[in-house]
Amino acid sequence: MEVLQNAVQYVLDMGASVFVPIIMLVIGLIARMKFKDALSAAIIFGVAFSGMTLVVDYMLSAISPAAQTFAENTGINLTSVDGGWTTAAAITWSWPFAFLMFPILVIINITMLAFKWTKTLNVDVWNVWGKIFTAILVTYLSGSIVAGFIVASIQVIVELKIGDVWGREVEDLTGIPGVTVPHHMTLVASLLYPIDKLMDKVPFLNKKMDAEALRDKLGVFAENHIMGGIIGLLLGLAASYSIQESLILAIQAATALTLFPMVSKLFMQALSPISDAISDFMKKRFEDREILIGLDWPILAGRNEIWVTAIIIVPVLLLFAVTLPGNTVLPFGGIINLSIVVGAVLLTRGNLVRMIIYGIITAPVFLYISTYFSPYITRLAKETGAVNVEEGSMLTWSTIENGEFKLFFANAMNGEWWAILASIGWLAIFTYFVIGRQKDNDKYFAEDIEEANS
Amino acid sequence: MKNVIVACGSGVATSQTVASKVKRILDENNVRANVEAVDIKSLDSYIRSADVYVSITKSNKEYEIPTLNGIAFLTGMGLEEEKQKLIDALK
Repeated sequence: MEVLQNAVQYVLDMGASVFVPIIMLVIGLIARMKFKDALSAAIIFGVAFSGMTLVVDYMLSAISPAAQTFAENTGINLTSVDGGWTTAAAITWSWPFAFLMFPILVIINITMLAFKWTKTLNVDVWNVWGKIFTAILVTYLSGSIVAGFIVASIQVIVELKIGDVWGREVEDLTGIPGVTVPHHMTLVASLLYPIDKLMDKVPFLNKKMDAEALRDKLGVFAENHIMGGIIGLLLGLAASYSIQESLILAIQAATALTLFPMVSKLFMQALSPISDAISDFMKKRFEDREILIGLDWPILAGRNEIWVTAIIIVPVLLLFAVTLPGNTVLPFGGIINLSIVVGAVLLTRGNLVRMIIYGIITAPVFLYISTYFSPYITRLAKETGAVNVEEGSMLTWSTIENGEFKLFFANAMNGEWWAILASIGWLAIFTYFVIGRQKDNDKYFAEDIEEANS
Repeated sequence: MKNVIVACGSGVATSQTVASKVKRILDENNVRANVEAVDIKSLDSYIRSADVYVSITKSNKEYEIPTLNGIAFLTGMGLEEEKQKLIDALK
């Protein structure tokens, strides 16, 4: 037993960039990949880790000193630097138990389909990382890995249930039949649902707005290098850097934001054989059943409302970050708040005004939840050796997807009474949403057919 | 060499999944081409140097180069047709 423990420790000590590729290689060989292909995928995974370490360290070394100077000058303490979801995903894959999530996901989905508890077959294997991320935060808060995987399993189930709901919205918004988006971040829609029902009663908020013209004007700001450059420049000026230093920071920030996705896609490249194998395996089992295929959110990315809303709430997030008492998050890598806009576009069926309202009212919640979880994200980065985080500063993700769920369930698993009640409340609202929304959809799409017939 | 681009919301996950699949299909059919996953927000700057665009989203914009349905590569439905179009476009 002790020998085994030592061997495991020896492998873990080499850091994520070595042990995760080893796991990948073994999984690849078990899945009967050719040795050459399995080795290639394994090494690319290692490259992705090392690359991400480089870029995150680079970002922190540029942004942290500016954030600290800003804090000294103003007393506004924004020391948790936001690496965005790409950073969160990278350090999540470096958790030693990460790969346990794959079989759990497959078993839950197949069981639920077999018993007809869902009609969603989720083949979006990339976003397994989101469930692992939840498992990690819950494990850290409760001290129990089992609790982490229990909550992550609940997450898998509620995602499949929301996938059942979204099929019709997705077809309506994209024109693609037979697919859905069982993405964790869309769960924010269930908490917004009661508010949305109220908004139905306000005449002005029912108007459709054309987002395309706005998108053409604003679209350029959503490009990573431009967004990064602007934020870097603003931060430099806010930290009373000289013009020269501010411009240097602007380019450094633009570099970080441009390189994040470039490096991040290496993870997907490495995972692609596994993800293909898993999705083929699942698809084969349910070929003759009518199912909704669950895909990642970018099938909705053609909707201009998503980008217009995301850009409009960028200054809102920045403004809240410097004014909210107790907030420590400096929004940067996660400032394009996909975690609200994707859920909101589905919930509001592309109603731009409502989406912007939701983006604004949820901004403080995102920042506070990110502040709350930043010590745990920092701990993960340090423990796995994925990223160097200097004393006095922290790493976080400013727009954690469905953070309320993680906050409530993690604390509930820790035995906090308020959190147990909040978790039950969350499930109650979710159930109300799933049932209510299906009724709404029946009505909404029935009207559509009537209109088409008349 | 010809260039194929696949775009998604961040140029990370979905586009890379499809890009890896496209690359494998091309290798199997001995067609040489670069396949790149890109960020849809920067699509306009990539599309100039591309020969084929694999789209995951519905768009009203028309592009001058052949545009394929990327969803087929994700769901497997209508895949054969898209495969053929892809190979024809790059031959």
